[in-house]
Amino acid sequence: MIRQIRTELLKLRTIRLPLGLLATAAGLTALVTILGAANAGGAGHMAPPPLDTTAGVTNLLSRTGFAMLLAAVFGVTVSSGEFRHDTATATYLATPNRVRVLAAKAIVAAGVGLLFGLVASALTTGITLAFVAAKGYAVTVSGATIARFAAGAVLGSGLLAAIGVGVGSLIRSQLAAIVAVFLWSFVVEQVVGGLFNSTQPYLPFTAAGTMAGSALGGGTSALPFAVAAALVAGIAVVVSGVAARTTVQADIA
Amino acid sequence: MSVIEVHELTKQFGPVLAVDHLSFEVDRGTVVGFLGPNGAGKTTTLRTLLGLVKPTDGRATINGKAYLELADPLRHVGAVLEASSFYPSRSAWNHLRVQALAAGIDPGRVEEVLELVGLEGTARRKVEEFSLGMRQRLGIATAMLGDPEVLILDEPANGLDPEGVRWLRELVRGLAEEGRTVLVSSHILAEVAQTVDSVVIIDQGRLVAQSSLEALTAGARRVVRVRTPGAQELAAAIGHDGVRVEHVAADRLEITGTTPERVGMLAAELRIPILESTTDAADLEDVFFQLTAAGPDAHAEREVSR
Repeated sequence: MIRQIRTELLKLRTIRLPLGLLATAAGLTALVTILGAANAGGAGHMAPPPLDTTAGVTNLLSRTGFAMLLAAVFGVTVSSGEFRHDTATATYLATPNRVRVLAAKAIVAAGVGLLFGLVASALTTGITLAFVAAKGYAVTVSGATIARFAAGAVLGSGLLAAIGVGVGSLIRSQLAAIVAVFLWSFVVEQVVGGLFNSTQPYLPFTAAGTMAGSALGGGTSALPFAVAAALVAGIAVVVSGVAARTTVQADIA
Repeated sequence: MSVIEVHELTKQFGPVLAVDHLSFEVDRGTVVGFLGPNGAGKTTTLRTLLGLVKPTDGRATINGKAYLELADPLRHVGAVLEASSFYPSRSAWNHLRVQALAAGIDPGRVEEVLELVGLEGTARRKVEEFSLGMRQRLGIATAMLGDPEVLILDEPANGLDPEGVRWLRELVRGLAEEGRTVLVSSHILAEVAQTVDSVVIIDQGRLVAQSSLEALTAGARRVVRVRTPGAQELAAAIGHDGVRVEHVAADRLEITGTTPERVGMLAAELRIPILESTTDAADLEDVFFQLTAAGPDAHAEREVSR
């Protein structure tokens, strides 16, 4: 298993896509955080609360959603890339145990996914604290809360990346799998969560978001951190299990 | 002793029967051509042998084991299946490093196989910059990473220029001289005729022939062309027991299903003068087309109907 994990890491080190996705995640996270900080306390219903409030600071700290989304997309590319470039043949010739290959991909994607969350939480925290300090406000959120939000972003990104590996194995078409992830995140969860508020905490992207500090609409309470983490981890295990079962049965033609 | 054994192998893709109760064996240390027209089921058979495709029925083994049962399979079997199985922006060198690591092969072997296929000077370039021929060479380098005793090559000459084809031929012969077993597929018999010891010919998923090249041509249909003023009389005397006679002119016959010696002896017995007699020994390509009932026209029809 160690050999397969090292192989997957070497694969990622020898292409540019992971770094490109990480840079994109970092850029988008910085952009939305800076825009939010600049508009905090401003007019309009889209403007975040002022930065001298807990709600305002939390709003900025929790802007790690793009990193989580792109971590999931990264996970998709780790598995579906094998089919997009027909490298699955070489992979399974070297390692015929497909479950082992898929497990190594999920572990490595989750590990790199943690990095997406780490970079994003470092950026949101740094930018938020810089804006708060620049305005001369006191930080209204405790260090423990900031650390919990960061841990949520890191863990959520890692788990969503692992889910992405499963989705990429199930759908195989890289474009279709990426579109599916975006549709799920931006449409399905928004529509389902909007229509049935009580389901929001149980939807994977939303649950991961709450781990990183995002508030839910409609007065719905988020799940406790550990429960939300267990839920997303459970979804990752189920998706990976289904993907493994499907991959073992599939012909690599 | 057989290294590769395919027994009653059957593969059905939905309504399409790609391989139909196919059985053949490949002996150790031989180079065997695996032939058939496009769509005959060659690639499906090879992929099943390599554990990439699950058989509907039957078995395909290497050294008595299914590919999935082999420990460190790249050390036993090297395969070239298609020229495009590379991540385009990864360098050839890195591709080989990845494969070596995955198979637990010493990374030092990478330089050796690059030298073997003549890519040592271009290995740091991205594969997307490679020509089809260079990709084929990289595929062969990948197959050779584990220094395997068995090589399975699916249409390895595709994309190679004449010099590349000659290089491939010499490489395969060299590998055979080292005692390796090579199963090489092609839809062009002439492409492998100078390389292989024997052939397995399939068509529509079924075995058509397995024999040495000599036996294949020896048993093939020959045409005896005769010019004689007694064409009618000779035709009447010889045209039975599976012998087919065609009058191509008043004094000319084309006779199939017999030997020139028999025709000559019969003509002598009947005192029929033979003014001219020639025999067209069917070449390998004719044999191939006869066995697969797939002349150029049939090929074209298949491509259209697919």
